[in-house]
Amino acid sequence: MIGIASASARVRHPAMIGALACAAFAYGVFAQAAAGAVVLRDDSNRSVVVPHDPRRIITLLPSLTETVCALGACNRLVAVGRFDDWPPSVKRLPKVGDLDEVNIERIVALRPDLVLLSNSQRVGARLRELGIASFAIETDRYADIARTVRIVGELLGVPQRAAALNARIRAQVRAVADAAMAQRRGPAPKVYFEVDPAPYAAGPDSYIGGLLAKLGVRNIVAAKLGPFPLLNPEYVVRRDPDVIFISRAAAPHLAERPGWAGIKAVREHRICTFPERVRETIMRPGPRVAEGLRAIAACLARVAP
Amino acid sequence: MSATRSTLIDALPRAFGEERPPVAWWLAGCLAITTVLTFGGLLVGTSSIHTSLRWILSPDAQSAVVLWDIRLPRTVGAWFVGALLGLAGAIAQGVFRNPLAEPYLLGTASGAALGVTIVLFASGASVGALAWTGQLGLAGAAVVGACAAIALTIALARGVLQTSNLLLSGIVVGFLLSAVTSLLLLTKPDMWRTMQVFLLGSTGFLGWSSTSLLAVVFCVCAIPAVLFSRGLDALTLGEDTAQSLGLSLPTLRLAMLGIVCAATAATVGEVGIVGFVGLVAPHLVRETLTVNHRYLLIASPLCGGALLQAADLVSRWIIRPAELPVGAVTACVGGAYLALLLWRRTRDA
Amino acid sequence: MLEPAPSTPERPIALACRDLVVGYGARTVLDRVSLQIPAGRWSAIVGPNGSGKSTLLRTLAGLLRPRSGTIWLQGRPFGAWPRRERARRLGWLAQTAVATDLTAAEVVALGRFAHGGWLAHRDVDDDAAIDRAMRATGSLRWAARRVSTLSGGERQRVHLARVLAVEASVLLLDEPTTHLDPPHQEDIARLLRQQAHGCGVAVVSAIHDLSLALTADRLIVLGEDGLVGHGSVREALAGDWLSLAFRTRVNVVEHDGAHLWRPAVAVLADE
Repeated sequence: MIGIASASARVRHPAMIGALACAAFAYGVFAQAAAGAVVLRDDSNRSVVVPHDPRRIITLLPSLTETVCALGACNRLVAVGRFDDWPPSVKRLPKVGDLDEVNIERIVALRPDLVLLSNSQRVGARLRELGIASFAIETDRYADIARTVRIVGELLGVPQRAAALNARIRAQVRAVADAAMAQRRGPAPKVYFEVDPAPYAAGPDSYIGGLLAKLGVRNIVAAKLGPFPLLNPEYVVRRDPDVIFISRAAAPHLAERPGWAGIKAVREHRICTFPERVRETIMRPGPRVAEGLRAIAACLARVAP
Repeated sequence: MSATRSTLIDALPRAFGEERPPVAWWLAGCLAITTVLTFGGLLVGTSSIHTSLRWILSPDAQSAVVLWDIRLPRTVGAWFVGALLGLAGAIAQGVFRNPLAEPYLLGTASGAALGVTIVLFASGASVGALAWTGQLGLAGAAVVGACAAIALTIALARGVLQTSNLLLSGIVVGFLLSAVTSLLLLTKPDMWRTMQVFLLGSTGFLGWSSTSLLAVVFCVCAIPAVLFSRGLDALTLGEDTAQSLGLSLPTLRLAMLGIVCAATAATVGEVGIVGFVGLVAPHLVRETLTVNHRYLLIASPLCGGALLQAADLVSRWIIRPAELPVGAVTACVGGAYLALLLWRRTRDA
Repeated sequence: MLEPAPSTPERPIALACRDLVVGYGARTVLDRVSLQIPAGRWSAIVGPNGSGKSTLLRTLAGLLRPRSGTIWLQGRPFGAWPRRERARRLGWLAQTAVATDLTAAEVVALGRFAHGGWLAHRDVDDDAAIDRAMRATGSLRWAARRVSTLSGGERQRVHLARVLAVEASVLLLDEPTTHLDPPHQEDIARLLRQQAHGCGVAVVSAIHDLSLALTADRLIVLGEDGLVGHGSVREALAGDWLSLAFRTRVNVVEHDGAHLWRPAVAVLADE
């Protein structure tokens, strides 16, 4: 919430820009506070001097890459993260790292004027020290999808396009959700969405949980556990979900987990798995969210009781 | 002759007579704690203790599954994992005549983890939740990996006679194999987090199949270790003296390291890398009890088992119904214990 | 193939070595040492620090591989003995008495390791040997105590009992009297002589104290340049081997039939 407010509050007073630029200087940021630059506070609560109309952008997260491209700025990207593969045009770009491991030298050599990355990527601090504007965005919750579009739109100087994209996403999501609700007979099914088999679950507060909520199903995970809790496996057995969403690799072994054979979803084989291409539209909090939602709705219509 | 016999019989019972009640009490205490923890393992989970008690008295279909197919094998399996690590730690400390030796010292854990990673890669399956064949496959891969690691360590140290070379090359091999595992994982981002949690140790998916496998491995490891414990006793007198007594140092070391290898590999295959139990359990025994290796090799598994059961309870209780990786709990507790030990030692010095 | 010298029927050669060369790295400690150690005699190894007393004992015990040369144990080449059989015939005592957490009785019982083997528990013979050894060294009193709680001298006696419990025909002892006070040193000397004369054991011990060493039957004198001589105490004194080995005048006086080392300071004070 703080992120939304501060990120959209542009600092327009020239004196303040000067003061912040000086502060930024103390951190080793040089020469970025040129005319037209703005100072924004990012989701790691740091002030970032963002150049006006950045032209050389690096994104280190698949969802951010997708967002930049959906805003029609794909041609401004000079490099992306290792797993960023959508839209297909970004596959040609240099890969400069992933969540944990980033090739800083490569990034510096590419002289970006803006690096977009996740809040959890530690490389942000290092890049700032090197004088590269790096903007961290938190993408845990469903509302973060629209917020990310709005922030990136502002950073790129295309706020109207961002608003239009958000409206389009909202309309698509509503259409899918309405259709799903109209089809449903009987009570809302209880679902368990396994993000990975540790087992990490998608809680109601996660963006995946947000998608599930749009379809009116009940998430078995309590909201107080946070967006992606590591569950005690017996929790799932006790909540006895009607439908389980899980990766294709883990699905065949569900019944072998101690006590899981008795879960209704496993017993009646109400399991949803998705091909990798589709799964990433669900797992990435990006502009293709409606596609992911459609896949979830289609599977639910097929397997839910 | 009969006179000498009688005096000796006087002396030896005194030798053990001083010891016997404490050892017996100690072992009984450990078993009592384990019983309490096992019962606690039935009570602690996603339900309140009150609800769990009601379940035990009058179970329905679901609570019976939770109690007897999830909680009981999990807590019993945790005991076996801890016991295997305690045993392996006690053996490692005896073989290297060093109280800071631990089961993962010779690269076994890294080797086992690499073996598991490779199998999971090849099969595309996920950690933990596998049927018998899968369990055996994973355990087998872990054993092969651990044995390969130990062989590499011994080759690098040019034999088993030079303790310091062995320890050093064990560290080298450990780092090397973990690096290979990390590189493999980097190519498959979807397995990265799962494997990270697995490598931190997780008891969540211990079922009856895992638990029986661990029980078999425990018997296979513990029985010969206890039977051959005199060799470790002899080794406490120094390597030269042990050899002069007719002990073959290479044979003893290889046999004992083989047991360490099997024990470690089985635990890594089932629950991942659980740090500190193998180091702390024999330490705790020696702090409270001075015994020969026969009793040490019996007491350390009991202590390690109870430790890991307790850690498992903490891991599922502290942020229930979510949980912590059990390796994180043992690392905290073990680290705190070692810090206490260090503090006491420096204070006394 | 070299053969050991034939042993006479009444005094067989228990342990022999020929042309033994031993060294660490580039340093040669023993250069072509040949010895014949008779059964039923107590031989003391004397010599200055660093002359290789411990090295010689460790080599003879099979703990150090010689660069060249041959060792015979009871007429049979060393390597031809199976490990455990050899361990039953050859006892070795280290210079430092290790402080282990085992009890004294457990340590002494380890002396029977080669007799029982890995799994075997003690039988009556083992118990008797343990008891005899602990009695002989006066360590029976501490049988139940942890060796780590004993004093240095007590520990030394427990370890000596452990070697005696082997009931070997050759005993190689590295400084068995180091941590002991003079009366106890005397006890040990008496014990070693009794083992040699009474039980027919070949006892070889490195002894620091010259007067004590002179109470042995035979002397093996090592100097900085190798073996000075090997023979009876009388031969050693006649040849003045000690002065040669220590490269200084070593005065030995005879008093009541015993040979005593007399430090030079005392001589100066007399004059």
